Amino acid sequence: MTDITPYDYIPADVAPAEPARPRLLVLATSLVSVAVGMGFLGLIGYYLSWRADVISTGERWLPTGVDIPLTQPNFMGVTLAFSVITIWWSVAAIRDDDRSNAFVAFLISIVFGVAFLAQTAYLFTIMQMEILADERSALIYGIIGTHMVLTIVAMGFALVMALRTLGGGYSARDYEGVLSSALFWTMIVALYGVQWYAIYITK
Amino acid sequence: MALTETRPDTPARAASATRPATSVDGLLGTGDHKVVGRLFIGGGIVGLIGALVLGVVAVAFANNYDNPAADAFDYLPQIWSMSRDLAVFGGLVPILVGLGVYLVPLQVGAPSLAFPRGAAGAVWTWFLGTDFLILAYLLNGGPGGGRRDFVVLWAASLAMMIGALLWALVCVAATILGARTQGMSLDKVPFTTWSFLVFALIGLVSLPVVVGELLLAFLRIRYLHLPISESAQLAGVGDSVNLAPALYWLAIPVLGMAADIIGVHTERPVRMRKPMMGAIGLFGILAFGPPLVGMASVRPVDFDNAFLVIALVGAVLPVLAVLGLAGDSLRLGRFVPRTALIGALLSGLLLLLAAVVALLAIIEPVQSFLDDLFPDRIDMTQTLILNGTRFHEGIRALVVGAVLVALIAALHHWSTKIWGRKMTEPLGIVALLATAAGAVILAAGEIAAGVDDQPWLPARATDDYASGLAAVSLIGAIVLAAGAVVLGANMAMSFLGTKPAGSSPNPWSGTTLEWATPSPPPVGNFPAPPIVHSATPLADGELQYALVAGTDAEAVAGPESAVDAGDGEGSEAAADEAADSDGGDDR
Repeated sequence: MTDITPYDYIPADVAPAEPARPRLLVLATSLVSVAVGMGFLGLIGYYLSWRADVISTGERWLPTGVDIPLTQPNFMGVTLAFSVITIWWSVAAIRDDDRSNAFVAFLISIVFGVAFLAQTAYLFTIMQMEILADERSALIYGIIGTHMVLTIVAMGFALVMALRTLGGGYSARDYEGVLSSALFWTMIVALYGVQWYAIYITK
Repeated sequence: MALTETRPDTPARAASATRPATSVDGLLGTGDHKVVGRLFIGGGIVGLIGALVLGVVAVAFANNYDNPAADAFDYLPQIWSMSRDLAVFGGLVPILVGLGVYLVPLQVGAPSLAFPRGAAGAVWTWFLGTDFLILAYLLNGGPGGGRRDFVVLWAASLAMMIGALLWALVCVAATILGARTQGMSLDKVPFTTWSFLVFALIGLVSLPVVVGELLLAFLRIRYLHLPISESAQLAGVGDSVNLAPALYWLAIPVLGMAADIIGVHTERPVRMRKPMMGAIGLFGILAFGPPLVGMASVRPVDFDNAFLVIALVGAVLPVLAVLGLAGDSLRLGRFVPRTALIGALLSGLLLLLAAVVALLAIIEPVQSFLDDLFPDRIDMTQTLILNGTRFHEGIRALVVGAVLVALIAALHHWSTKIWGRKMTEPLGIVALLATAAGAVILAAGEIAAGVDDQPWLPARATDDYASGLAAVSLIGAIVLAAGAVVLGANMAMSFLGTKPAGSSPNPWSGTTLEWATPSPPPVGNFPAPPIVHSATPLADGELQYALVAGTDAEAVAGPESAVDAGDGEGSEAAADEAADSDGGDDR
């Protein structure tokens, strides 16, 4: 065995490294997620501000006879928390070039999303709050409805990425679509956390 | 099942999405960022002229205080609101976005904008939203309107316009962050590109709040049956970007463009790049008002006033810094009285004037703070309360004037890149002077009216003195609108002129990458990705790329630069191109 030091393997005059492939989809998804997040937080800000004004006058915030049970929102949060695990499972799987697992992980995440929407619909029935009773209830349903729409968008994004993954569109070398989907999904779940505290906890 | 092992080639994909817009279907289906940018700029100019003319009408009605029976007065809230909506989201922002869409890929050495088809979708969505907005107002909708369905249409169309502009900003920001050419780190991007990045990021965190406001307005009108007689209160929607310091968001690109233009035309690029970039970034952060104030207002402490004071005082500093650093270039370089250079300086001065005058608005919150802190101190009952008065219209006039003056300068500076021909200098000077003078006169009238406690429009002047001030405002509004009309005419003459395209690639001896391309640049911008080593690649003898690109090397280098012709493959092509472009437009 010859005595070779590691630096002998390094050529003296190497060509510069190829520029890193721009991860434009990840960047754009991050920017869109931030914009969506700010819009949603703005709505929450209006909600809290209005609520504080009403409560400072000694009035009750929620309409009379309306109660928001906490059990259901907690289960919805748990469902979304599980979906975060599965959506990132898809990223981990595609990084191992395991497209089957990635596809399954995507599908499970989408099922969690469907479950979340069903749970929200059930919450509407037990809240017994008319949607158009007054401006407050419209605001509450407006915020919850906005989050539901965002969840549906995230599910659609995940479905497209699942199909592309299954079709060989992504691999361990290029998985920015899968990563983008996971980022957007995580943002939606984080926004639910804000909604959970602002609407369901503080009531 | 096929598994693609080949690494996707993003530039190639981007280039495939960019076909020339030589026909209607080409125009509708183009993904060329230059066509999309031109559409935004052209549409924005038309929208801005319309907005300023409507502004003249609104001020004229407000002046007519002794004739309350005038039927047209009923429409004043709508005219005023339409003028505001169109000026910001139908005029200034689209023009700025158009410049970003057009220039940013060229300045960062990218073959295309990120998501070019998405940007094309954004411009058509914006056109559609603008059409619906105008339709809504024409059919008695909008704030103050009397027909519920068209008030709803107003909210939906404005949200549509903002959404489209936001998506275009995402494309611009993603290009800057992810598609810069090799060697161009973020601290080496041109100031214009840097300012567009700050503009895009601040817009992405600010404008969604306005969309949220519109959603609430939509719910109130559509489902809660807000009495239609109260629809005028919806005019407040969007105020979060119409009041200083949030209004300064519009002026972020002014600083970057001014720094680049001054550096090129004085032939002395700004020496202290990082302080300049820091100043632009700080200005952007201070303009990040609406979400912070909106969310902070739920706190028990009066944080919004404290933030207002900090932001308004702080905003003066970055503007001063930019002017000082640009002034250094002016001191060391030479002053050539061109529209671009004069406009860049004038826009900075107008912005400084706006920032300084806006400090009057902090008197009330500071006094309130002092009253709380020292309840037994000498009573100062003469507090100047400007909130809710026309004072804010004055600040808005100055900021709009600063942005418009900067746009005139930018369009003169980059016109050869944008449509291949220079714009007429005398008309440019006229447009500059009219815009600046109009903005100052309008602002003077509005600020004086605000100090006189005249309520914010839409409202009539209440006495002779206020009517006199409104007359001053009217003169300013007319002169300001005239400046925009002259700009539009100059652009049209330049764009539609009979002189053939093929201007010199680098008429001003610019040092950034956009000047290494032909005027106007071809589809794909660059035949090969350029490699840069500094913020001013064309000033550092890095002309290899220009030769490979087949452009006129001498023209790219500028008249006084030494050119190393080299023996690259592009040399012959470069020589041919040089011969071809000798007859370029050099007005």
